[in-house]
Amino acid sequence: MNRVHVILTSVLALAIWLAACAAPTPQVVEKTVVVEKPVEKIVEKTVVAERTVVVPPTPVPGRDALIVALARAPAALDPNDHRHREAETVIRNMYDGLVTRDTTSGVHLEIAESYRWLDEKTLEFKLRKGVKFHDGTEMKADDVVFTFERTIKPNAIEYPQPHTAARKGLIEPLTAIEKKDDYTVVMKFTAPWPPALQMIVHHQIVSKAYVEKVGTKGLIEKPMGTGPFKFVSAKTGLEEVVLERFDAYYGGAPTLAPVGKACVAKAVFRVIPETSTRVAALLAGEVDIITEVPAELVDTLKKVPGIQVKTVPGTRPLWMEMNVNQAPFNDVRVRQALNYAVDKDLLVKKVYNGLAKPLGGPLMPTNNFADPNLKPYPYDKTKALALLKEAGWVPGPDKMLVKDGKPFSFVIDTQEVTRSLAEALASMFRDIGIDATVRIWEYSVLRPKLLAGERQAFVGDWGDSAFDPVGHMEAKWHSYKEGSTYGRGNFSGYANARVDKLIRDGETENDVAKRKAIYYEAQKLIYDEAPAVFLVLPEAIEAALARVQNWQPASDSRVNLHDVCVK
Amino acid sequence: MSVQVPARVLRHWDYPLRIRLRLWWRALAELGYELWQRPFVLLGGVVLMLFILAALLADYITVHDPTRGTLLLRFEPPVWEGGTWQYPLGTDDQGRDLLTRIIYGTRVSMAVGLLSVGISVVVGTALGALAGYYRGWLDEILSRFADLLLAFPFLVFAIGVMAFLGPGFINLIAALAFKGWVEFYRLVRGEVLAECTKEYVDGARVTGQSDLAIIVSEILPNVFQSVFVLGTLRLGSMIITEATLSFLGLGIQPPTPAWGSMVASGRNYLMTAWWMSTFPGIALLLLAMSINIFGEGLRDILDPRLKIE
Amino acid sequence: MKDHEPMCQCANVPNVTLKFGALVNWHIGSLGKPMKAIKILERVLATIPIMFAVAIVVFFFIRLTPGDPVDIMLGRGGTVSQREIEELRQQFHLDKPLEIQLWYFLTDAVRGNLGYSYIRNRPVTDLLMERLPATIELTVGSLLISLLVALPIGVLSAVRQNSMLDRLSMAGAFLGISMPGFWLGIILILFFAVRLQWLPVQGRLSYGIPLQEITGFYVLDSLLTGNWRALENSVRHLLLPSITLGLAVAAVIARVLRSSMLEVLRSDYIKLARAKGASEWDVVMKHALRNALIPTVTVVGLQVGVLLSGNMVVETVFGWPGLGRLVVEAIFNRDFPLIQGAVMLYAITFVLTNLVVDILYTYLNPKITL
Repeated sequence: MNRVHVILTSVLALAIWLAACAAPTPQVVEKTVVVEKPVEKIVEKTVVAERTVVVPPTPVPGRDALIVALARAPAALDPNDHRHREAETVIRNMYDGLVTRDTTSGVHLEIAESYRWLDEKTLEFKLRKGVKFHDGTEMKADDVVFTFERTIKPNAIEYPQPHTAARKGLIEPLTAIEKKDDYTVVMKFTAPWPPALQMIVHHQIVSKAYVEKVGTKGLIEKPMGTGPFKFVSAKTGLEEVVLERFDAYYGGAPTLAPVGKACVAKAVFRVIPETSTRVAALLAGEVDIITEVPAELVDTLKKVPGIQVKTVPGTRPLWMEMNVNQAPFNDVRVRQALNYAVDKDLLVKKVYNGLAKPLGGPLMPTNNFADPNLKPYPYDKTKALALLKEAGWVPGPDKMLVKDGKPFSFVIDTQEVTRSLAEALASMFRDIGIDATVRIWEYSVLRPKLLAGERQAFVGDWGDSAFDPVGHMEAKWHSYKEGSTYGRGNFSGYANARVDKLIRDGETENDVAKRKAIYYEAQKLIYDEAPAVFLVLPEAIEAALARVQNWQPASDSRVNLHDVCVK
Repeated sequence: MSVQVPARVLRHWDYPLRIRLRLWWRALAELGYELWQRPFVLLGGVVLMLFILAALLADYITVHDPTRGTLLLRFEPPVWEGGTWQYPLGTDDQGRDLLTRIIYGTRVSMAVGLLSVGISVVVGTALGALAGYYRGWLDEILSRFADLLLAFPFLVFAIGVMAFLGPGFINLIAALAFKGWVEFYRLVRGEVLAECTKEYVDGARVTGQSDLAIIVSEILPNVFQSVFVLGTLRLGSMIITEATLSFLGLGIQPPTPAWGSMVASGRNYLMTAWWMSTFPGIALLLLAMSINIFGEGLRDILDPRLKIE
Repeated sequence: MKDHEPMCQCANVPNVTLKFGALVNWHIGSLGKPMKAIKILERVLATIPIMFAVAIVVFFFIRLTPGDPVDIMLGRGGTVSQREIEELRQQFHLDKPLEIQLWYFLTDAVRGNLGYSYIRNRPVTDLLMERLPATIELTVGSLLISLLVALPIGVLSAVRQNSMLDRLSMAGAFLGISMPGFWLGIILILFFAVRLQWLPVQGRLSYGIPLQEITGFYVLDSLLTGNWRALENSVRHLLLPSITLGLAVAAVIARVLRSSMLEVLRSDYIKLARAKGASEWDVVMKHALRNALIPTVTVVGLQVGVLLSGNMVVETVFGWPGLGRLVVEAIFNRDFPLIQGAVMLYAITFVLTNLVVDILYTYLNPKITL
């Protein structure tokens, strides 16, 4: 039996060694933190992971291409007919639009030289001269008109079967676009549309002559635009897209330096859906830039020589929405209490490694109309318990809250990606005596239940990539009406007539000061009524090899390779 | 030396109790001897026994709460990497003690394995025996249905079933068993078809035994062995499939500790908090291997045809 | 009342065959060649109704599963109009009753049109055909690795039963089925690709290696075009995913092979061969192995089905652009046409594989006579 023992033990040891060697040995920095409970002293250690990657990442020698790893495949490369950020990322390196956005939220002119509002509902753009498509033809007003008509006309896209462009929804108020002369176009809207410019950023211009010649099928097989890169090839359904520098590029937005043609000669987009594999690819030097890096890996990655990590405030804020039409959350005091019971700073520090910002209300702090005077609900357990007491919830014999003999317990529904956050919240609620448990769902199965008001609490995000309340508030905080898109993301069942009116007014009010007033009032109402626990806005994290220069992640998840250079 | 003769005798109630006990004891002693001859198998059995004990005594041998943790203690390293003896194997992303979760996880993982395989075996054997014995339209319908189910790739099927039924422990077992029974059905049906040709079946019918009695007492015991082999194989793989379903977000609900979900949710931290995924993975490995080795060894012992020479 | 159909295989074949449930009762050896060809054709044609049966089942199953494809497409964020929702529903025929939808689907399908993917807006047949070679390449690679591992283990451990070699190698084989695939895959990547940097992390081919695609199978294409760089590169990319998938299957095959070898080695005709003075190598490899392979082949066939399902996880971990990943995405996105098409494809593959197994079976069987 001795032999057997020895062999088995060594196999076991080998297995453990194998796994352990693939990970860094953490260095422990001791820090004593005295917590509220006088009996326990929790020693808080910050685990600072050291690198153990023996070989620093080296790209294949002589690799002239810049390789970017995306988390999802772009579904199709038609600038007017897609719905995903990945598709937009790849497309916007090949196609330019009338206006563009910088890495925060500022709008800059790109193909358009200037714009002016002729009246509340009419917008005129003057186009730049000398902008060339990749095939050498010049971009003129005809192309712009063609692009937008293709987007808004019903069933204008003929391949694979006639259907309306997917991007129409992003420019719904546009009714018509006219060419005034070769370098001037005029857009007409149904009503004043305040976020017009922010939304026009998401539409890129195609060549009328080209599309008429090759059709939509030809366009998606061989994209052709005015962007800094031209399309070379794509493999297996866009798993790998290869782009090449367009030397006759007009230079790009003049207010966004550097202006001129792209720095790298070749760029490649690859799809690596599994997070660990994506990070591993970077560590092995196989790719240059990766997106969607989990916050926990930032410290480790920063320590690897040859890797740089950058972050930018994201555009997907998180809330825990509570069903306001059912007990226990039909009492505003309870909802506010839960807001006071969450230690957002701890969440930011522990769950997001410091890479997030607490939310001060329903809008993310980087939204152009977020009220800077609304501070996040502070962490105040005493206040929380006091509010709960007012609402009738008192601690029972086992320290858990009870009311009329029934314990305070509820289920937090969420998806797998936000499991960590939901579990952290559940444990914070348990700290004040609420029995909270987490249930993981597939979103598509959960959503109808949420809208029907069958669940109790939901932790989730809602995108806000226009930095404007329009496109966000009417989906999230407006009351839900079946048959309309208002409130299609309203999972709390919140319905406040005044807020509804404010949201609708803000959609068509052009005056910035008036809009501010409208939205500040709406935010305050929502803040006070607390249909959700306002959580955090995580940062978007990207990482790159040291040889990548001039690269900056953008809030709206776009990977802009125009300025990026490779040493 | 093999242990099959006493088994047949033991089923006949006519022998007096004293003798039957003697024969049982002899059977066990022989089993013990055979196991001693195969140290690997014995080791497998011992490890399996340890896991079972851990599952049963979890409440008494652990100190911490497997479902509660504090964020402040997130990702504590194991004791030899700079951690404390309070959390010997470290903590996970919610600050829960890993060792405690692994011990409690034994219960869940074994429950998942035993229940799903158990249901598959029972349903599959019953249907397979019926189809093999009676043939005819019952056989046709069931076999077509089984073929249809087999043609579905398992994950497609599992995701669909979980979406249909919703997340949860029972639904997970249902999803696993719904595909699992087909293998046992096929196996038993094939065996029953073969056994049906043998003389003893005709003999039993001549003596007037009812169909059901024939199936249960004569045919099934001979089929038992293959079912047992397949069952032990599937036991390990069902537990692992739970891990794969957790990888897709459809596994055991938090905060219940289940090795599969622990491995899946810890996989993104393999470069930093590697212990979170590795130790449950090793536990999974040990349990699955001990089941397989012990099961295979037991089969070797019980099979009269595979004698050690 | 009960018909006891004589099992013709009973004559010379070890019981182990039956234990692993052969699919079809095949009257072997008593048929001439033309009859066999007709039977094969029969089986191939029979795949069509099976495919449709599967398609109809899937059709109802996914539509009755909660989750609305239009909701999912429109995502969480951004402006969406009611008009868009209604147009999409119309476009996908989701506003019509189920029977009408089924009718559209069937009438299109018989003409070879499997519909258009909701998310990717391309014909389903294109999407499937585009990714099929990658999945097949991975399956073949995994099968090769598993045979490479399982055949020696199975034979050696049967020949040296209960020796340390037997025990160790069986334990090693079990290792493969005792670990979740994604875990093994990630650990292999971290160790061999990141730490040692011996093998690539993901994908099928490194960027910058030109390869002319003829069949879609990179290894084959590099051989056909004499492109040695691409050959080396594509094989290196194939290694880790194949090992991950192959080890799991190897365990099952090794077990089956071992137990059937053990049984065969005890049979009379082996004793006869030994008595006749045949060398041990001949006895084992020529006589015993051939017979032991029969049930093994059946199991290998079944494992192809397992490989096809296991593909999904490994494809995701290794970023392999195959069918598996496409299907998982499709399911989570409720991309009905794509799910239907993919499942039909899997069903055909499964049935055809079983057919191949059965044909192989008939070739292996007649050689038993001594």
